[in-house]
Amino acid sequence: QAVAVGDAVPWQVVDHYENPRNVGSLDRNAKNVGTGLVGAPACGDVMKLQVEVDENGRIIDARFKTFGCGSAIASSSLATEWVKGKTVDEALQIKNTDIAKELCLPPVKLHCSMLAEDAIKAALADYKLKQDPTNNELEKKA
Amino acid sequence: FCPGCRALQPPEPRPDFFRLMGCDRLFRIDAQQLQRRFRSLQRAVHPDRFGRRPPKEQYYSEQHSSLINKAYQTLLNPLSRGLYLLELNGVEPAKETDCDADSVFLMEIMEINEKLAEPKNEDILEEIETLIKGRFILKMKIQPSLCKLVMFYFISDDLQEAKALLAKMKYFANLEDKLKNKKIPS
Repeated sequence: QAVAVGDAVPWQVVDHYENPRNVGSLDRNAKNVGTGLVGAPACGDVMKLQVEVDENGRIIDARFKTFGCGSAIASSSLATEWVKGKTVDEALQIKNTDIAKELCLPPVKLHCSMLAEDAIKAALADYKLKQDPTNNELEKKA
Repeated sequence: FCPGCRALQPPEPRPDFFRLMGCDRLFRIDAQQLQRRFRSLQRAVHPDRFGRRPPKEQYYSEQHSSLINKAYQTLLNPLSRGLYLLELNGVEPAKETDCDADSVFLMEIMEINEKLAEPKNEDILEEIETLIKGRFILKMKIQPSLCKLVMFYFISDDLQEAKALLAKMKYFANLEDKLKNKKIPS
């Protein structure tokens, strides 16, 4: 599968593409696993990000599966690396701009980092919903 | 072409692809008519015919030719045609992430992608292709194909629905590309 031709692909993106970290799945039915599934309609990329949270609210494992361009794969790969070890609230602070900067994403690929940020938020929202299904605010969103 | 001296003129600055290709600004097109128009236009402006003309005309001919290529490709493919129609109607292309929108649909797309990615599935590409088409039609719950549904939305001027459906088409288009690439031996 070819990486985008044209402008030089940042080595960070190539690295994540060739050596992706944390590819795979967690048990979506487990109560302490949050699953985020997001899509980018403009390019048709789909991204699934899952987190496993311990009893102290700390993320102990994360996995992703992304079907899309190299930048999308790299963004989600990096996202799983970053959320590990963070608490849920800390992970919610991760911004797409940080991801983009770390991977040296060109402007045209910034939406990929946004997709990863949305995937993190979706996974954490799913986790929170599972912990407290009676929470009205989350129910309205879902 | 200039009526007086028959020299080739530059293309107009903001061309409407539908008008250029002689089609009504509708989602439904006559593919054969489009193709005929494409060929006859290229016959008139293709750079091969301007080898002996002044450099300026050669340049214009290149511009015309690639514009006609672009218009033809855009209108030929239903997805690009639909997106172009949305654009002409002032509807912004979808940029935001699909988070809440139809997670069941995204899950299906994810599953199909995963199936495609499994190496042992090389032999059952035909099955996967049928699965893609079948699942999708079932999801729509009506007999007509996806294109007919998009056409319906455009005719009833329901541009937001057309936009949402075209977004879904994009995911399927990606899957079809992947299938095609798998079928071609590398």
